[in-house]
Amino acid sequence: MIYFHQVNKYYGDFHVLKDINLTIHQGEVVVIIGPSGSGKSTLVRCINRLETISSGELIVDNVKVNDKHIDINQLRRNIGMVFQHFNLYPHMTVLQNITLAPMKVLRIPEKEAKETAMYYLEKVGIPDKANAYPSELSGGQQQRVAIARGLAMKPKIMLFDEPTSALDPETIGEVLDVMKQLAKEGMTMVVVTHEMGFAREVADRIVFMDQGRILEEAPPEEFFANPKEERAKVFLRRILNH
Amino acid sequence: MLRYSILFDHWDMYLQGFTNTLKASVLALIGSLAIGIIIAIFRIAPIRPLNWLGAAYVEFIRNIPLVLIVFVFFVGLPAVGIRLDPFTAGTLGLMVYTAAFIAEVIRSGILAVPKGQMEAARSSGLTYLQTMRYIILPQAIKIVIPPLGNQFINLVKNSSVLGVIAGFDLMYFGDLISSETFVTFDVYIFVALFYLVLTIPLSLGVGYLERRLAKTR
Ligand SMILES: Nc1ncnc2c1ncn2[C@@H]1O[C@H](COP(=O)(O)OP(=O)(O)OP(=O)(O)O)[C@@H](O)[C@H]1O
Ligand SMILES: [Mg+2]
Repeated sequence: MIYFHQVNKYYGDFHVLKDINLTIHQGEVVVIIGPSGSGKSTLVRCINRLETISSGELIVDNVKVNDKHIDINQLRRNIGMVFQHFNLYPHMTVLQNITLAPMKVLRIPEKEAKETAMYYLEKVGIPDKANAYPSELSGGQQQRVAIARGLAMKPKIMLFDEPTSALDPETIGEVLDVMKQLAKEGMTMVVVTHEMGFAREVADRIVFMDQGRILEEAPPEEFFANPKEERAKVFLRRILNH
Repeated sequence: MLRYSILFDHWDMYLQGFTNTLKASVLALIGSLAIGIIIAIFRIAPIRPLNWLGAAYVEFIRNIPLVLIVFVFFVGLPAVGIRLDPFTAGTLGLMVYTAAFIAEVIRSGILAVPKGQMEAARSSGLTYLQTMRYIILPQAIKIVIPPLGNQFINLVKNSSVLGVIAGFDLMYFGDLISSETFVTFDVYIFVALFYLVLTIPLSLGVGYLERRLAKTR
């Protein structure tokens, strides 16, 4: 489903991604962890071409992401993305936020788009907020709307870049619950997070990055019990100690 | 004491001038807003040649006097076979000139919209233009209402440039009445009042919009 082969990326002289090789299969949940600045966001953002790669091969859903001849919007409609800061559209209601892309990209009629939106709002537990504006919601509620917005496109892949990092501790759980549910239903998910409990419980695989490289890749039981890399040990000790 | 008889005796002229100034302003306003939005998008679209084109337009146009631009339309175009009446030439000049300033205002408004908005919209499969239309511009508009209002007020005042090429606007008729009556001060006071009739409601309207938009998010 997602295939990185010898992918490198530079920002000018700065080498952000170094020889990335990674395969993610359909239905897998892969959690990416690593210290700040290690390239986690960049890696995830390459998958839907919010960032372009400098060399190597990246194939997503059988499409060469960086091929000039592909229709990137066609690929993107199959990939949902959830951001750290939600990025809801502040001038639109929750319902409008969710129905916009289905209506404008998939050309689904308004009535049907609204029904789908309501279905996903129920799923994330806030159908009563359909007509609210984002500014009237708590962080956790906003992030759940963002997830519903992604799901309403019925994507094959969902990308999460630190979806709970901007949330108050008491609302983190409600967002993680939605994500766990999604994982259980077989969604292919790539998640950058510092929530080790979530990683341990939900991930099929943990990918540990440092300084632009993937240093270790292992199932969570194995990774948490017995990390092979010294830097992964140090990182885990630091993060689990608070 | 103002000589009101001047106003009453030449009411038709004042009114015709006022109407033409209003017409030129409205036309130039709509046109310059449209051109301004397009130039602003040229300047920020991820396409190099368009960036250069947009930048060239803004730098070129806003650094020449308005009167000169109007002359280009009025006496320059006939040289290549396009003949425009003074009103049209003046309005077009005003439109093209104001568009450069509006483009800059809109560009800064667009840049003030957080970049996560563009990322969220593009990652959902919307095209660049759809994102602009549904996500970025509606938010940018709120940011640019006050500076845009200033540009519109400037536009109304700048429409007096039509007088220079006999464009039948307020200024033109002011000059005419003054040369007929040999009165200057009173004539132009009335001209000024007519301009205020246009600019003050505009100013109040912008303030009202600003307050209303501040309430919605
Ligand atoms: N647009 C950019 N231009 C130049 N350098 C960048 C750019 N974006 C990111 N970087 C640099 O690339 C490196 C990797 O950034 P990235 O955001 O992928 O890290 P991260 O692992 O997601 O970190 P964090 O945990 O802080 O989010 C960082 O050192 C960052 O400063
Ligand atoms: Mg990051």
